[in-house]
Amino acid sequence: MLTATLRSLAAHKARLAMTGLAVVLGVALMSGTLVLTDTVGRTFDNLFSNVYAGTDAVVRSTEVVKSPFGQDQRAPIPADTLASVIATPGVAEAEPTVTGFAQIITPSGEPVGDPTGGAPSFGANWGLVTGLNPFTIAEGEPPTGPDDVVVDRASATKGGFGIGDTVTLLTAQAPRPFTVRGLATFGDSDSPAGASVSLVTLDVASELFAVPGTVNEIGVVATGGTSEDEVVAALSARLPAGIEAVTAAQRTAEDQSALGQALGFFNSFLLVFAVIALVVGAFIIYNTFSIVLAQRTRELALLRAVGATRRQVTLSVLTEALAVGVLASLVGLGIGAVTSIGLRSLLGAAGIDIPSTSIVVSPTTAAIAIGVGTMITLAAAVFPALRASRVPPIAALRTVAVEPKPPVIRIVVGIGILGLGVLNLVGGLTQGGDTALFGVGGGALLIFIGVAVLGPAFARPAVRLLAWPLPRLRGITGTLARENAARNPRRTSTTAAALMIGVALVGFIAIFAASAKASIDQIIDESFTGDLIIDSGQFVAGGVSTDLAASVKTAPGVAASTGVRFLTANLDLPESSAPAGPASNAAFILAADTTALVDITDPQPTAGRVSDLGLNEVAVASSVAESAGLAVGDTVPAQFPTGERTLSVVGTFDNRALLGDWVVDLATADAAAVDRLDVQVWVKVADGASVTVVQEELKVLAAPWPTADVLDLSEFKASQAEQFDQILNLVYALLGLAVIIALVGIANTLALSVYERTREIGLMRAVGMERRQVRAVVRWESVVIAVFGTLLGLVIGLFFGWVMVLALSSQGLGVLSVPVPTLVVVMVLAGLAGVVAALLPARRAGRLDVLTAIGSE
Amino acid sequence: MTTIESTTGPGTDPQPPVLAARAFDAVKVYGTGDTEVRALDGVTCGFERARFTAIMGPSGSGKSTLMHCVAGLDSLTSGSVFLGDTDLTTLRERELTELRRDRIGFVFQAFNLVPTLTAAENISLPMDLAGRKPDSAWMDEVVRTVGLADRLGHRPSELSGGQQQRVAVARALASQPEIIFADEPTGNLDSRSGAEILGFMRRAVDELGQTIVMVTHDPVAAGYADRALFLADGRIVDEMAAPNAERVLDRMKRFGD
Ligand SMILES: Nc1ncnc2c1ncn2[C@@H]1O[C@H](COP(=O)(O)OP(=O)(O)OP(=O)(O)O)[C@@H](O)[C@H]1O
Ligand SMILES: [Mg+2]
Repeated sequence: MLTATLRSLAAHKARLAMTGLAVVLGVALMSGTLVLTDTVGRTFDNLFSNVYAGTDAVVRSTEVVKSPFGQDQRAPIPADTLASVIATPGVAEAEPTVTGFAQIITPSGEPVGDPTGGAPSFGANWGLVTGLNPFTIAEGEPPTGPDDVVVDRASATKGGFGIGDTVTLLTAQAPRPFTVRGLATFGDSDSPAGASVSLVTLDVASELFAVPGTVNEIGVVATGGTSEDEVVAALSARLPAGIEAVTAAQRTAEDQSALGQALGFFNSFLLVFAVIALVVGAFIIYNTFSIVLAQRTRELALLRAVGATRRQVTLSVLTEALAVGVLASLVGLGIGAVTSIGLRSLLGAAGIDIPSTSIVVSPTTAAIAIGVGTMITLAAAVFPALRASRVPPIAALRTVAVEPKPPVIRIVVGIGILGLGVLNLVGGLTQGGDTALFGVGGGALLIFIGVAVLGPAFARPAVRLLAWPLPRLRGITGTLARENAARNPRRTSTTAAALMIGVALVGFIAIFAASAKASIDQIIDESFTGDLIIDSGQFVAGGVSTDLAASVKTAPGVAASTGVRFLTANLDLPESSAPAGPASNAAFILAADTTALVDITDPQPTAGRVSDLGLNEVAVASSVAESAGLAVGDTVPAQFPTGERTLSVVGTFDNRALLGDWVVDLATADAAAVDRLDVQVWVKVADGASVTVVQEELKVLAAPWPTADVLDLSEFKASQAEQFDQILNLVYALLGLAVIIALVGIANTLALSVYERTREIGLMRAVGMERRQVRAVVRWESVVIAVFGTLLGLVIGLFFGWVMVLALSSQGLGVLSVPVPTLVVVMVLAGLAGVVAALLPARRAGRLDVLTAIGSE
Repeated sequence: MTTIESTTGPGTDPQPPVLAARAFDAVKVYGTGDTEVRALDGVTCGFERARFTAIMGPSGSGKSTLMHCVAGLDSLTSGSVFLGDTDLTTLRERELTELRRDRIGFVFQAFNLVPTLTAAENISLPMDLAGRKPDSAWMDEVVRTVGLADRLGHRPSELSGGQQQRVAVARALASQPEIIFADEPTGNLDSRSGAEILGFMRRAVDELGQTIVMVTHDPVAAGYADRALFLADGRIVDEMAAPNAERVLDRMKRFGD
């Protein structure tokens, strides 16, 4: 039996290659992602342990404020802690670090790096203690005067400037010119993970970045003979409550794990697409095995007739699947390792730049890639294998394998799976929390499988209906194409289902994005009564200093304006809201001049007041207040990076879409945050003043901040849409892989069908069908299958989009917008893709030799 | 070996009978060296218009090969083949295809029909491929002749073997080709269905003036023809006018010697 399996493997190399390709692509993306993680992990592990080699201990605050986005902020410590640290026995040297946001502006006025996304920009003091300073001067000198700066070499290269040039630093203070004194490296690397860094003297850093009288942390070098643990113990004994000492080893481990988390997010993002690709691949493997085994019914029946047991038949099929799976996974792993280099540039766009090093493939990665690829292939082959084992010996005597009518049970099971999928999806979306992703993902998968199970039951009439114009347009070739597509409903529907998955996700993303854009537009149209928005382009870290908002406020023609900031705080709520992740009580708080705010927006207040908030007064979105059990008059203990405050709730509002969950006044923000950076400035133009004229004036005012754009409302909407589009394009590209795999599937199915219909094609050629007509028949069949799959996909995508909008309507996604032109383009592309998928099979069909074809079995 | 009559030489007779197709010194060699097979070894013959010719001979004698070469399905190693005045050896692949579509009809032993098309669609297939409108009066007549009027909407899988062959004959007749080639058209049928098919072919020749060339092993089938050609080892070894089953059987027995 094994010999029979191996023979059949050898006899169908081309078919196996096609089947394998479906696995190869999915495994390649998966292993590419894993290899990238291995490589990056190794690179940074080395980098961190090198740069902290001279440090023995770090003194820092114990207070950490978690951010909803995972970037934790540690509270600063009093600067005078340094004295007691130095006085501690076992401490040889100690030096504080002060860091904060700093965007470099080149001599020609351009920001270095991509301020909207990409790697972070920060500034710090130049460390004078060699062992403590992770940076090394590569060229020039360290900063000594108040106008001196040293930048990382990568930024200088990117910005096209060098030693002696004047750059401007945008910080929480007014923009300030500096002279570049030197270029530094971080370990062996030109930049720490692609971040752009400005290094200044401690005095300047304290002035620019710190709350007066504080530093971020203090690095410690122990005296010779004192171990890291000993010096930490000595420090811990002396440090006041709220300040801790940790070993450099621990600090390094924390840095590595923080980076690991950032990478992990990126990883999971990519792995989602790898899983999608693998699921599509599984459909194709299932389909190929089904078709091939149906074609080999006679051979299998003969084997059974001469005494092969069912078990042996099943095993022989699974052995074949195992061989395909292992081989394809190995190839996929190889391609993945190469792909990881390409993925690296994606990671760069996501803000982490990796110094180029050799590729690291860990044994775990290899095991996962090969294991998953093989398991999926095997799992997809199980059903066809079982079906093959049920071929009765008598089938050896029948001429053609007829596809049986789908039994009622199939319809019942299909509808069951579909229903379960919808329930899961809706449940996942409405409940939220950790399990939401599994609910949504699992629900979507079940819906796909449900439709695929139901497919054979409706594929024939659906395909006939879809292709009704073909006979009219294309005559007999059209009729033949339509009937060929309809003749094996199971084959057609499974092939189409593979394409459906990719298209459904593309359609869903397109609808989601269009709805999000439309919702933003609606929010701005309906509740933003201002006229201009100055957008710093930054969000979580960074922004523009308050000087800009201050000068805008007094500009002629401006009726009202406010700087808008976001604070992170950890709130102690009476009832913890939805079961969110570890940062469940981490909140994003919008801070604005609440007197001006009500002139520029409509907060839609529901109780108390949202305007004229005083220090430590907070307004809450009504839905948040409800789920947290808060009402006007209640207090909320809040942990800010500068310490704890008690906020009192003075009002609730409905406009969560524009203002978020929590609103405080700038007075509170000034007191509670470490630095004062406005993310945006909102402006209402005075009655009678021209918006364009005021916009021009404000552009002049904003000129010192080249990262800031002065936008009118339509420009602002467009810039928001543009940010969406960037992410969209990346997602489309990744989903493209799933679509490509599905096209390989269509090509594969067609090739198998052409092979099966050899005699028929020969007959038609004999009675006068031209080669181009043979090709046209295959091509149009392909187009019909592709369009069928695309239509199914778009319907499901539309459903996903609709459910998503329903679920997120309370969070500002209120408008369901269907981007009809995009979907039409998808449809047309699908048709063209069908043509492309048919190229090879059609060529083969056209080339069949008439006589051999007629004579073939 | 029997001498070949003058009707088979092109242009040798001042008033030759009108030939629908003819082969001149046709040679077909398969393989090379040790494996070389001379399937046709210098065949010269002609098929008269509005006549029913049977090609007979032992298995492997080259009957199918001759038919394929004259029908433009295969090419000769040397020699020439004419359909009417068209020299098939000068035609390119696409011209041969069009020639088969527009000027030749085929009936094979089995698998004659496209399974996805109905009987009616199968019948009009060559004309549909050419983008021509079938002559509906003629179609009706053909369909009536082969007795398929009530089966036109059926697919081949819903027809019996005999009915399928009738559809195939109808398809061959429908486009009014210059010549119809049939390779053992009754080989898979019982004698009653076979007789029906042969009867239709005979009527097509007598009543419609159709030219038919049929390869067959069956002396009874050959009895429907106007003339029988006998092949052995790639050569024409005999021919018989107005053959009947008994005489043909006699002649066939002598191949064994
Ligand atoms: N494609 C081919 N390659 C090699 N030899 C071939 C090929 N086709 C036919 N032959 C050989 O040519 C010879 C004539 O074959 P052909 O099919 O014409 O015989 P036939 O008279 O039709 O026989 P049958 O009555 O069995 O159908 C045979 O010896 C056959 O083996
Ligand atoms: Mg033959």
